[in-house]
Parts: sequence; structure tokens; C-alpha cells
Amino acid sequence: MRPERVAVLAAGVTTPIGQDLDAFWSSLLTGASGISTIERFPVGDLRVGRGGEIKKLTRVKRWDRVPDCRATRLLVSAADELLAHAPLHASGVAPARVAVVVGTALGGVEEGERALAGEGPRRRLRGALYDAPGDNLARWLGARGPVLTVSTACASGATALGIGADMLRQGQADLVVAGGYDILCRFVMRGFDALRSLTRDEVRPFDRRRSGLLLGEAAALVLLSREADAPRERLGYVRGHASTGDGAHISAPDPAGRGLELAARQALAEADCSPDDVQFVSAHGTATPLNDRIETAVLKRLLGSRAPEVPVNSIKPTMGHTMGAAATLEAIMCLLAGRYGQVPPTRHLEEPDPECDLDYVPGSPRALRPRLSISTSLGFGGCNGALVLESA
Amino acid sequence: MGEAQPKASRANMEGRPERSEGGLTAPRIRALGLRTGWGSGAAALPPARGQDARAAAGGRAVISLGRPDLAGDRFRRATRESLWALAAVAAMLEDGRADRGEIAGDGTALLFATAAVYGASNRAFIQGTGGGTHFAYTAPAVVSAEAAIEFGLRGPSVLFIGGPPATLRAIWYAATLLASGSCRRALVLAVETFEECADLYARARRRSAPPLVEAAACLWLEPGDGRLALRTDRGRRPGAADAARRRGDTMGEMMACAPLAEMARRRHEGHPDPLGLSGAWRGEGADLSITKGDG
Repeated sequence: MRPERVAVLAAGVTTPIGQDLDAFWSSLLTGASGISTIERFPVGDLRVGRGGEIKKLTRVKRWDRVPDCRATRLLVSAADELLAHAPLHASGVAPARVAVVVGTALGGVEEGERALAGEGPRRRLRGALYDAPGDNLARWLGARGPVLTVSTACASGATALGIGADMLRQGQADLVVAGGYDILCRFVMRGFDALRSLTRDEVRPFDRRRSGLLLGEAAALVLLSREADAPRERLGYVRGHASTGDGAHISAPDPAGRGLELAARQALAEADCSPDDVQFVSAHGTATPLNDRIETAVLKRLLGSRAPEVPVNSIKPTMGHTMGAAATLEAIMCLLAGRYGQVPPTRHLEEPDPECDLDYVPGSPRALRPRLSISTSLGFGGCNGALVLESA
Repeated sequence: MGEAQPKASRANMEGRPERSEGGLTAPRIRALGLRTGWGSGAAALPPARGQDARAAAGGRAVISLGRPDLAGDRFRRATRESLWALAAVAAMLEDGRADRGEIAGDGTALLFATAAVYGASNRAFIQGTGGGTHFAYTAPAVVSAEAAIEFGLRGPSVLFIGGPPATLRAIWYAATLLASGSCRRALVLAVETFEECADLYARARRRSAPPLVEAAACLWLEPGDGRLALRTDRGRRPGAADAARRRGDTMGEMMACAPLAEMARRRHEGHPDPLGLSGAWRGEGADLSITKGDG
């Protein structure tokens, strides 16, 4: 029995490679880089001071009704584009039936940094709670339905879309604004720097020389509706989702990838699809030695003999690992690939790792119009996420 | 892949999913473990119609849980909050007279709800008292991950951030996973600790606010045959806000742990079904009802 598809009506993005869908997509295809030296806060004491920093938010012109919180402003910027494509008031859906579900790895942590440094009023502390930016977004949107913040670390953007789809299927809302966000701040740069996870080289997923990731900041949102209620114009569909836990290690993925495989299989089962239906994979592809090897092994088990034929990419080299936003951006990329008939390449993959022997779309975009894609994500705490997406 | 079942039954006989008007199939409560700053289990909570939590606190702004007594090198670096996550699961097993082997594997979902448990680790890292290893603990996911590692929980897993409505949403999601066959059992875990940030809360909260009560709770749900309905919206559920205020007045502020503490108290007092739980947070009210099935 086929579960109800959930339609993706529109999307909005704010990224280091573009502050709307057209710029984002064009940069993915042309290879424009969003990586630069970080300028918004001091990085001189860190081993690596580069990342996917958004130098200036250009889309929204007036911030007087938006809290002075960078995470909120990234979300509002993405929401501004979303509403330009699909105005909520034109939907006829009552505000009480519009839900907001956002995923994040860091929430409003920078507000905590600022408050502890004595910057600003004491109410700033309330903004340090992880659900504060999502609440601010709901207020800006005028949404009066359920407001959720989920945090499955760097898989959060997948979890948010999956929970949003479940809320629609269960009638908890009639429209859901779902997605993910995270910002670059001292807190997270210091943390990853201390873990020695950041590379001084380019980000090279699946390359034998890969030496780590770079972080980035972004917000990405989609507007979800039950298929039966959706207007004709759509980007695609969320067909299935699963988020799982490894129960193996607090910060490293399970070497066997069991949790990721379970997530992928459960997401496909929810979509009522078989691995044979998968035409494209958007990998987490962080370019850390362990992640890329594990993901490759899981995809081989999942796709079986078809594994070498199914294109797999990672878009993290272009803008860094955007944490809570990453999986939503990658889901949007899958749907745009289906719309435009092109799969963005994995940048900086030049010398394949013998242990990573799938088709990672090196070099240039691939002419392909995937109908069914799967997007995989991993995060701290053994979090895994998988989304099954179908193009319109 | 182990004992988890593929999601096969998410749709009903018409091929359409169940909607909230009729509710989801409600899970059955197998066990509930609770530890709070007041003590162990529901019996330690201030009585529902008795002493005001402020009076019971005797002037303390935070009623601390302290650090659980867990021996072993594995726990040497673990944070206090993640140890309480383990203790809550252990208390749940004790309540259910169950062995840890019963919950191990990929058939168990772990849904974690918290509003502020990450505060202590984040503060420590911001203020420079934590290194690279400590950084991992700033992720809320690591609190529940410690419980998952300890008890071998390898099934579906999601973290809901927020106050009581986040916990009610976690119960709703547990019911969704159980109804779809994505898991055989679901644990809803909630942990809140405040002590390390007590001075910050003192700056941000009203002087008349009830005391912050640290808590850790874990609810074990299995497939049932009743009905579960969750209704939430912003500003239109004054009853939920009133109920939350009354609960805060008697038990103290437990944030995401409050609905599970309320559930534990009702079970302790022998209240029959149907079960109704309310919560409010950031202007959003939530009402969850679980009605018993015929079976």
C-alpha cells in the first residue's frame, strides 16, 4: 500500500553560494566557491579560519521587526524567498493550520556567547535556547500552528522534513514550513578546530587525499503540503524519511554504518520503494576519512549490484558543511536536479580512494534527470537521517 | 538488519493515513522511570493539592539532582546530564521489572525531549573550561546518545527541543513510529538540568517564578489499541497554559520533564484512563489525550 506523498511546493535558501534558488543552483553547476577566510569574528587563534561564510545578507532590506540574532536572520532570509515563490496568504490556509519545523545543530548558541560576554540586554539569554530561532521564524511568518525544533545534529535538516511530512499525513497541519539552519560562530569553529576535523586543504569528498571538512552557514526551507491539497506547481515530493541512532559512539559514526543503513532502508520502505528504484544519491560526503568510507560501504550494501551505476555526489566542497541546513539543501538539490536534468558534481575529487569506488560525479555536471533520489546524513551522537525524494 | 520492521502499515485500509481528528492508535504504557530534585519516583513529588513548590524549595532557586552514582571508567568524562539520561532509563527498567536486554537493538526507538539540558555544556565550552572532547557534549544529541550506547538502543531516534509541548510531540511521534511498524517499542526520554546555569536563570527569570527542579524521566511505550490525539496551537489553548502553571506551582518548573512527571504522579495516585496531559511553552499550548482501547 502506497503511503501518501507529501508535495514540496516551493523552497528558499540563504547560502554562501547564493541567496536564492537560482544563484544556489547555478553555483552548484558552475563550481563557484563559497569558501573564504572568516571575517565576522576572530579566527586568528584557530588552526583553520576558513569556511562558508555569508558576507552580507542581501535579500531582506529591513530588519527592524527581526531580532538581532544571526540564526534568525538567516532563517528569515530563506523564508523571504520561500514566500516570494509561494505566499502563505494566497494558500487560503488559516494561520493556525500552518506549522513550522526546523532542524538545527546549534540553535541560538551565539546568543549565549554574546550574553556571557556581557553584550546586550539580559533577555538575549533566552535567545540562546536552541528553539529560539524557530520560534522567531514562526512569529515572522505569522504561523500559529505547531512550532517544532528538532536537533539530530548534522542530520537535523532531514529530520525536520520528515517530521513535517508526518505532521501533514496525520492532519496536524495543512501547510508546513520545514527546513534547517546553522550559523558560523566562534563556538562551533573552536569546537571543530579542537577536534582537528577541519582541513587546510580543499574539501575533497571520496578522494584518497581527503583530510577533513570545512564548516559553512546557511538556512534552507521548503513549503510542504499534502499531495491532495497541493496546487499543480510543485518542486517534487517527500516520499519517505527515517532518522536513527547508532548507539555506538558520541561523536564518531558506527564503523559498520548500521544506523545509516537502517535509516535508508526504513525511508525507502516508507516510500514504498525498493533500492532498485533509486536513481541518484546525495551523500553526506563530509570528506572526513571515516565518513566517506562508511557511506560508501552502506550504499554498496543498500544498492547491491547496481551501486557502481548510481551517481552519488556531495555538494559540501562548494560551501562547507552547513550542519543543520545541509540535509535540507541537499534535498532541494535533488529536486532541482530532477527539474533541470543536471546533477551537480563533487568538486575537488581528483584522486579516487580505492575504498570509495562508486560513481561520485567528479569534474563537471552530469546530464541526468533523476526521478527518485535518496539523501543521506550523519551527525554527532550517532545521528543518521535519510530522505527519499521524488521530482515533480 | 535486526528486529526493526519496515514501515509498511503507515496507511489505513483506504490507503490514506490516519488523521488527528480521530487520532492515532495510542501506545500502551509499559513503564515510567522518574528522578527529580525532590527525590526518586512520583512518591517524592510535592502533593498535587498540597504544598506550594516555592515553600517546599525553602528559598532554593534550583532543586538539584546532584550527580548520579555511576561507577566505571566509561563514565569518567560523561557530563552530569548524560549520566542522568542513563539513570532515567535504568529507573524505567526498574519500574517495568525488565532486563536491559529487552530494550537493546534496532527495534527500540529513542525520542528525546529537552528545553535546556545543553546549557551546562555549552556554557562550559564558551567559557573555556572544555576542550575538544567536551565539545561533543555540547550537542544535545550526545545526551541521549550516551543512553543509546549504554543500553544498545539502535533504532529510530529524534530529538525534540522545547518545553512540555516538545515532550508531548515526542509521545505523538513515538505513537506514529509504533503505528507504522518502524519500531517495536519506543522510549520517550526527557532530561533537564539547571544547576550549572543557576546564576543565568536568576538573571532571566521572575523572582516569583517557581523553583527550577532538575529531572530525568523515561517512558516506555509499546503498541496499544486506544486512541491518541494531540492538539496544539499558539495562543488558543488557555487551559493548557493554566494547567502548566498549576503544575509548576506544585512540582516546580521541570520544562520538558514536566509532562512525564505529571504522568508518573497520576499513575502513582491510581488515576484511571483516559489520560490527558497539557503543556505550554513560548505561547504554544498543547493537549495530548490517550484513551484506552476496548482490548
